[in-house]
Amino acid sequence: MMPPLRPIVDGLTRQRGVRASLIVSEQDGLIIESSLRFGQDGDRVAALAASMYRKARLSAAAACLGAVAFLQLDAEQGRMCAVGGRSDFVIVVIADPGANVGLIRVELFKALEMLA
Amino acid sequence: MADDVRRWSDELARDPNSLVFLELGEALRRQRQLDVAHKIALRGVERHPRNADAHDLVARIAVDRGDLQLARERWSIVLQLVPGHAGALKGMGYLSYQEGRFNDAEQYLSHVAAADGQEHVTSALATVRRTSMSLPAVPAPAAEPSTTPGATPGAFDDPRRLFADLLVDDGQTAILLDSAGYVLGGMYVDANGADVSTDVGAQLSGITDEVRRAMRHLDIGDWKSITFETQGAVVAMAPSVDASLVVVATSRATPLGLVRRLLDRCGTRATSWLERGVGR
Repeated sequence: MMPPLRPIVDGLTRQRGVRASLIVSEQDGLIIESSLRFGQDGDRVAALAASMYRKARLSAAAACLGAVAFLQLDAEQGRMCAVGGRSDFVIVVIADPGANVGLIRVELFKALEMLA
Repeated sequence: MADDVRRWSDELARDPNSLVFLELGEALRRQRQLDVAHKIALRGVERHPRNADAHDLVARIAVDRGDLQLARERWSIVLQLVPGHAGALKGMGYLSYQEGRFNDAEQYLSHVAAADGQEHVTSALATVRRTSMSLPAVPAPAAEPSTTPGATPGAFDDPRRLFADLLVDDGQTAILLDSAGYVLGGMYVDANGADVSTDVGAQLSGITDEVRRAMRHLDIGDWKSITFETQGAVVAMAPSVDASLVVVATSRATPLGLVRRLLDRCGTRATSWLERGVGR
């Protein structure tokens, strides 16, 4: 049975520097559950993150590198981290540039374990 | 595959002397369960010390774990047991190539190519010959040491050696792609020693189109880098001058922080090289 999803995303958003966390369907880019700070457009983030993760997965497979487990995108004013690969679910976090990405990565994998 | 692994595990549990450990170890290696594969292979070698394929398996797993010294030792044993063992010759060719000993690499791979002429061996041999013909016998970094990552690489007249002195660990590889995904410099060498830069570059550069599109809508500014972990590697990419792209790939054993530093160094090198106009 699938665990309640809300505590999972809430737990991620409680991490320092995290602006939003979402569980997204990789297939269609729709939000399954989310925890957003004020001002974040969840639908847009979900669609773009799912699309980027899917593209990375397909490109890595085509390059014979195997399945993508963790993805991190760094930008000038923030970063996006995502984990997936075990089902259609992708867990996405949007964080500040100074957030501890090592910790976020660990928490993302824990969350993925809970979903498995 | 999971069924096979279970079946082979059961068989090995029933009969610890079974040679099924060879298939089991290889399957686990392919699934990147390297520690388990390593243990099974070592146990197999203990029970079958004269079995060349057992030592070959240990060596292949050692390469995946980044332990090239162990791999070399094991493939040396294989060649003592079975001179001309194709797996060991290919492995020694790969190790020699990684260490810049191109003549040795050519000798090992020539033996394999003469024996079975597999396409990937012939391709790897061609890569080694192209590289060794265009380089002095001593690798460029040794001829012109450079401790500053951003130093202008005067010795890199061969673009394929652009990042050679920055790639300090085994299994690390780096390429520089132009905006169309074509290779400008560096090399992406697979486990068989074949240069697959063009294919890998074309596939990976497609990600950046998606990233640029996302950046326009995510409100987090221009992208600086993207890193992803796969079953077989860690890949990091960063934009460089003239819309070019630096791609670094390492084994999963390389810590992520080190991958990022390597990407920074390769990015600095690429910028320096492109700004000299060499890559244009």
